[in-house]
Order: sequence, then structure tokens, then C-alpha cells
Amino acid sequence: MASVAQPAGAGAGTQTVARPAFKKESGLWSWITTVDHKRIGLLYGVTAIVYLLIGGLEALVIRTQLIEPNNDLITLERYNEFFTMHGTTMIFLAVMPLSSAFFNYIVPLQIGARDVAFPRLNAFSYWVFFFGGAILSLSWLANAAPNMGWYGYAPLTERGFNLGRNVDFWALGLQVLGIASVAASLNFIITILNMRAPGMTLMRMPLFTWNALIVSILIVMAFPAITIALALLSFDRFAGTSFYIPYIYDEATRQIVARGGDPLLWQHLFWIFGHPEVYILILPAFGIISELIPVFSRKPLFGYAVMVYATATIAFLGFGVWVHHMFTVGLGPVPNSVFSASTMLIAVPTGVKILNWTSTMWGGQLNFTTPMLFAVGLVSQFVIGGISGVMHGSPPIDQHHNDTYFVVAHFHYVLFGGSIFALLAGIYYWFPKFTGRMLSEKIGKLHFWVTFAGFNITFFPMHFLGLEGMPRRYGTYGEGSGLQFWHVVSSLGSYLLGFSFLIFMYNIAVSLQRGKKAGNDPWDGATLEWSIPSPPPVYNFATIPVVRHRDPLWEEKYGQYEGEGHTEEETVETTIAGFKIGEGQAPDEDAVEQAERRAEAGDEHNIHLPNPSFWPVVASLGIFLAAMGLLFSYPRIPIGALDLPLLTAAGIVTLIAGIYGWSLEPAS
Amino acid sequence: MATAVELERAHGAGHGDDHGHADHPPTSTGLDHRKLLMWAFLASDCMFFGSLIATYMIYRGRAEDLGFAPFPSEILDIPYTSLSAFVLLMSSLTMVLALSAIQKGDHRGLRIWLAATALLGSIFLGGQYFEFTEFYHEGLSLQTNMFGASFFVLTGFHGAHVTIGVIWLLTLLFLSLRGGVKQEDSLDVELAGLYWHFVDIVWIVIFTLVYLIPYEEVSETQTGAFALLGGILRSVAAIF
Repeated sequence: MASVAQPAGAGAGTQTVARPAFKKESGLWSWITTVDHKRIGLLYGVTAIVYLLIGGLEALVIRTQLIEPNNDLITLERYNEFFTMHGTTMIFLAVMPLSSAFFNYIVPLQIGARDVAFPRLNAFSYWVFFFGGAILSLSWLANAAPNMGWYGYAPLTERGFNLGRNVDFWALGLQVLGIASVAASLNFIITILNMRAPGMTLMRMPLFTWNALIVSILIVMAFPAITIALALLSFDRFAGTSFYIPYIYDEATRQIVARGGDPLLWQHLFWIFGHPEVYILILPAFGIISELIPVFSRKPLFGYAVMVYATATIAFLGFGVWVHHMFTVGLGPVPNSVFSASTMLIAVPTGVKILNWTSTMWGGQLNFTTPMLFAVGLVSQFVIGGISGVMHGSPPIDQHHNDTYFVVAHFHYVLFGGSIFALLAGIYYWFPKFTGRMLSEKIGKLHFWVTFAGFNITFFPMHFLGLEGMPRRYGTYGEGSGLQFWHVVSSLGSYLLGFSFLIFMYNIAVSLQRGKKAGNDPWDGATLEWSIPSPPPVYNFATIPVVRHRDPLWEEKYGQYEGEGHTEEETVETTIAGFKIGEGQAPDEDAVEQAERRAEAGDEHNIHLPNPSFWPVVASLGIFLAAMGLLFSYPRIPIGALDLPLLTAAGIVTLIAGIYGWSLEPAS
Repeated sequence: MATAVELERAHGAGHGDDHGHADHPPTSTGLDHRKLLMWAFLASDCMFFGSLIATYMIYRGRAEDLGFAPFPSEILDIPYTSLSAFVLLMSSLTMVLALSAIQKGDHRGLRIWLAATALLGSIFLGGQYFEFTEFYHEGLSLQTNMFGASFFVLTGFHGAHVTIGVIWLLTLLFLSLRGGVKQEDSLDVELAGLYWHFVDIVWIVIFTLVYLIPYEEVSETQTGAFALLGGILRSVAAIF
């Protein structure tokens, strides 16, 4: 929209304020010590895309192994490592950090803030994530990649079945990544609750920010369960306990001895984390397309308040469905029925979302740009995955589907057709904001259609494979089993899908050099990030904006757009069943007063940004060294009664030094 | 993670600390960033302890079920642990007095009560060290039976929390002695206090569930999710 080339920051007087001069940071050291949420967001994004490609290559090896019966491209032991690392990489090192990249970059811009609440804690989160990823990746070099599936079921993870360091790499890597996720999420919760621009009430927040808030709460509440589960596992492996071991074989007496542990405890703890984790992966995606669809339909989001409630409901119910991952372990009819009912219940808020997106598009002026194509792609593909999810939410059907390729098809439809589609949509949508240049629409559309075709050719046949009895996690199948045809189709599809990522990389490379200049607001966006230059200045907003509307920038550009019937609910107080859903839409006096104070604080002499700091890197390096010491336990050094690995001792000292250096250094 | 909270203590509510607290732009909720962070972290910490307590509730009867002595009823010394629980609870009182002192600008009072809190916390830790050694000599170790494993991991995790708290208090004491904790920095003390009170409250739950409530046979039908839910429900019932 060239006509709105200079939309002012949604407050008054952006253009009149002289831009404060901040030194432009450059060089490797500046990236290591940066506390700027935008740079940290880019670090997250680039790291996550590298891991996305690595995870994709692992998938291609898996598909190539399965292209013919009794294939010996890789050994079956190696195959175990590949599918374990594929799952672990995609979940913890690709999709979660890519979501985190968007949270970091976009959330402060959408709420009109200059940074996150705790900039150094943010840097710490990234570096801990970086080192956690390094621990998992180093397992390949140590020839001990995790090999028991990303869910790490006991007792496969116990020493009796898994003597090498494979499980230890995985357990320690996930522990370190958990620290990063929880630290980042605490930061986002405080940022979103506490740093909104004046006038931005909770019910005026962009839906992406709402989803970031709810996902962060999910992470903070769900990760402790897996942390404890992994800690108990490590006790079993290092300290001789038997939390997950029911029986052992006693060499001395040559008898099987009961130990009293229970492998089911692992499954409970893991899925109490694991099911919320599913929503941790998909809700950011929902947030992204809830931003995109209104912008490219030229209509405000249909049913904003209901969308917020639906997201919160999904998150809440997400803690009460974990047993549907365990229908076949024999908990009995009562637990299975209860958890089946709660599982099916989740389809309701999810369906509400699908209908709201559809209703947003209904009657809108649809503009099928690349981001919109990916967003609509999500809506259609996620429905397929959602419906197969409801299918195995029923215990008797799950008995049939369990551990077959049908389940593999299901979760790739929700995680690839859902999360990855939305993350790609988000990259196309916000790339102009990150870099100042547009991604090529022509290549982008080719990219979308190749991805869409490759995705469906790869994963749809897996439904058939599953129903015909192809088990998950098997590295081979017999000749004459009748399974080869769909395996070949699926593998060919995966090569097409791999090729689509080459197109994507090519698009990024070309557009970074020669892409069209984006300007502030290339999509005629509705939210505050489009009111500032692309890429944003280091302080984001010269003047902190004042928000009077749910779509602040549209209000700025087009007034309250009264007269358009569908927006009336946005401007007046509306009630549904006695609940005010449009509460606080009119600017109240408090907000105005706050705005004045913020505006004062925002003039050029008063913009204070936190200084770069290297203490977060020091502290996270300490965590890395401590974990590496546990993995490579020699040489050791005795400290009192404790016999610590040297590296671990060095790591603990580094961590403590980092903590004290950090807390004693002035923040800005 | 507690340490990360501590780390941010130098970072104020707004975007700069160097021009005094009054000038900060107001936060949206009116609460300080760091205080909100502490509450969110404690919510997360509840889930850590919840997972460990559920594990203990499931496993504590397994020693008797399998006949692997020592059993909880033989070895737990309620009078002894009541005394150390009392010491820990009293440390919450001294913590409140420390905060109250600095809010009034009474630096001497702050130092006295911080030292007292750290001392009471250390006495509790000493008591736990003695208890663990005693149990070990009586034949209960991590490896002995499921009661031992889940008991030591649960109470040890709590002990680690107390240890971090004591280090935090001593750090504040040291900073105060060097004149680094001013009256307007009372939030620094308040955050440590929030953490400290939480650790105390968790001990009330652990003390009740582990020491006071005797183990009853879990019926054979209560397996898996039911045992877990039952454990949680009984824990909740025990609190009220």
C-alpha cells in the first residue's frame, strides 16, 4: 500500500521527534553479547532453520531406507538413531525455537515495547538453547546418538537395555533445552503482561501475542514434569536407583529380583509434559495465521474474543488428556473413557478456531499472497490431521492405529501441515520487517505449491500404510508384504518436499540481495509492528504509541471504520450471555494519563536501552561444561567426599561466576 | 532458575535503572517486573515439587509391599523432624522482620534478621544432613528400596532449594554490609523473601505427606493414572 507509506507510530508526533543516535553494533562479539530482542530473535531463527534442514535430511535418510524392502542403506541400529534424532531435532531444535524467534522479534513490536522485560535473561535463554542443541548434535560425533525414540520410553532407556551414552546425551540435552525454554517463557509472560503500550488492554492484544502468552504459560507449567522425569531417569542410570525398573537380574544369586519401580511412571510424567508440548508446537502457528488471515482478507478477525477463549481452553484441556497416548497400556475402561472424552472435547475449541478463520475470509477481499497461501494451507491441512486425531481419540480405534504409520500420518499433518506451514507463512509475512526487503512472490508461490504437493504425496500415503499394518519405527519391511508401493510414493514425495526447501533457501538468498524494498508497511497491516521502519531501529519506537483500538494501525489509517457493519462490535461494548467481550474499548482516563507519562519518557534523551552483556553467555557456557562433564566423565577431581568430573567442576565454577557477574553488573 | 531471577535483580521495572525508581514508565499491571517474574517462577516450581511428591506418594509403600526394609514407619523420626521443621518455619518470621527493617531504612535490623534467617536455614540443612547420615547408617540409601529412592530425591531437591536460598541471603547480607542494599532497594529483599517463604510452605506439605501421614495400602485396582490421581488427591486432602 504505497498510499500509507508513512503511517505514524499510532501515537502522535513520531515524525517530529529527532531520532536518537545509537551506535550501530556489528561484528561477531556484538552478536554474542547482544541483548536486543530483535537480534536474539534472528539468532533463534537462523539456528532453528539450520536444525530444520538437518532434521529434514535425517527424514530423507529414513525415507530412502524405506524405499525398498530389506534395504541396507543404514543398519537398523543407525535407523533407530535417525528417527529418534529426527523427532527430537524437529520438536526441540526446529519448531520450538522458530516459534521463539517470532515471539522474540514480533511480540515487543506488537505491544509497543522497546525490548523484553529481562533482556539479559533473553540472551541467556538463547545461549542455553544453543548449547543444548550442541549437546544433542555432538552425540553424532561421539557415535552415540539417542536411539530409543523421542519419547524415551522406560525401560528402553535404562542401563540394562541401553549401555552407551546415547540416552545420556538425550537426557542432558533435553534438560539444558528445558532451562532455556522455561527462562524464555517466564520472560515472555512478564513482557506481555507488563510492557503493553498505554491503552493496549488484554482484550486489545493481537492474537499472536495472546498465543505467545498462553504458550509461555504452557511451557512454564509443563516442562517441570519432564525435568523431573529425566532427573529420575538419570538417577536410575548414574546412581543405581530403579524408578522405572520393576525387576532386575541379580548376577550373584542368578535370580530375578523385584525392585518396585514402574515404567508407567515415565509414561505418565512424560505425557503430562508431552501433550501440552503438542499445543506448545501448534498454538504459535495458530497465532501467526490469526494475524495473517485478517490482513489478507481485508477484514478484522471474526470472533476475536472467542478466539482468545478457545486458545485458553485448548491450553487448559491440554493438561487433562495425556492418557490418550497410553490407551494401549491397559489402564482399564474408566481412565480410558474419561481421557477419551476430554480428548474429544478439545476438538470443540479447535473447531471454533477453524470456523472463525473461515468466517474471517468469508466475504473478505482475499489477496492470495504467499503468506496467505500458507495460512490457508494450514487451515485445510490441519483439519485433516485434526480429524484423524479425533479418530484415535477413541480407545478401540486407537488399539488398531497405535504404533502404525497412521499415527505418523496424523502428527505430520498437524505438525507439518500445521506448525511448519504457519511458520513458513510467518517468515514470508514478517521477512520484510526483519530485513527491509520482500521475499520474491513469484518464487514464493512456486515454493508453496511444491511444498503443498510434496507434503501431501509424502504423508497422505502413510494413512494407507498404517491401516495396512506398517508399524512405526521399523527400519525395514518384508518383500511381498504389499507395502512397497505406498512407501515408494511417500519417499518420492519426500524428495519433492526436500526440493521445496531448496527453493525456499534460494528465495531467501536472492531476496536478501535483490528483493523489492519493503517500506514500513508492505501488507497494509493492522498491528503496531508495521508502524515503524523495516528493519526497526534499535529502540523500536521513537515514541511509545497509544492504543485505542484492537487493530491500532487500521484505526490510525482508516479511522474507526464505522459504517462497516462487521466492525461495529470492535468499537462499542458488546455482551454475550452477560459477559462483556468488548470491555475497555474506549480509551479510559488512566490510559491517557499513562500515555502522557510514556510519551514524556520517550523523547530522545530518555530512551534507555540495556547495555550488551557477556555474562549470559558465561553462565550458559557453565551449564554446557557441567553437562559435558557428566557425559565425558574423565578426568575426575575429588572435592571433599564428592568425586566430580573435572569439566563439571569447571562448569559449576563458570556458572557461579556468570551469575554473580550478571547480578552485580549495572543493567543499563 | 531461581538464580536467573536473582540475576535480574539489578534490572529495574522500566528501561533504565540509572535515573531513579520514580521515573520508570509504569508497568501495565502496576507490579514490578521482577516481582511478577518471581511469582511466575514459583508457579513453575510448584509443578517441579508436584511431580516429585506424586512420585513419592506412588512409591513410598513399595518397600513394605516387597518386604525391603527399612520401612518409612520404622525409620522416620517425627519428633526430630518436627524440631527442624519448627526451625525452618521460624526462619520465615525472621525473613519478614528483615524485609520490614529495610522498608523502614533500618540497615542494622536488616543485617541482623538476614543473618538470623540464613542461620536458621543452615540449622535446618544441618539437621537434614544429620538425618540423611543417620538413615544411611540404618541401611536406607538411594538404592535400598523405592521408599529410599523417592524420599532422598524429594527431600534432597527441597534441601537444594534451601541451600540456594541460604546462599542468596548471605549474598544480600554481604551486599548490605558493603552498603549496596538501600532502602529503595527493598524489593531485592522482598524477592528473596518470596522464594524463602515458598520453600517453607513446600516443606509444610512435604513434612505432612512424608512424615505425618502413615502409609495405607493402596488397593490393587488403583494402578497407573488412578494411583497418581489418588496420590495427588490424598495430598490435597491432607493439606486441608
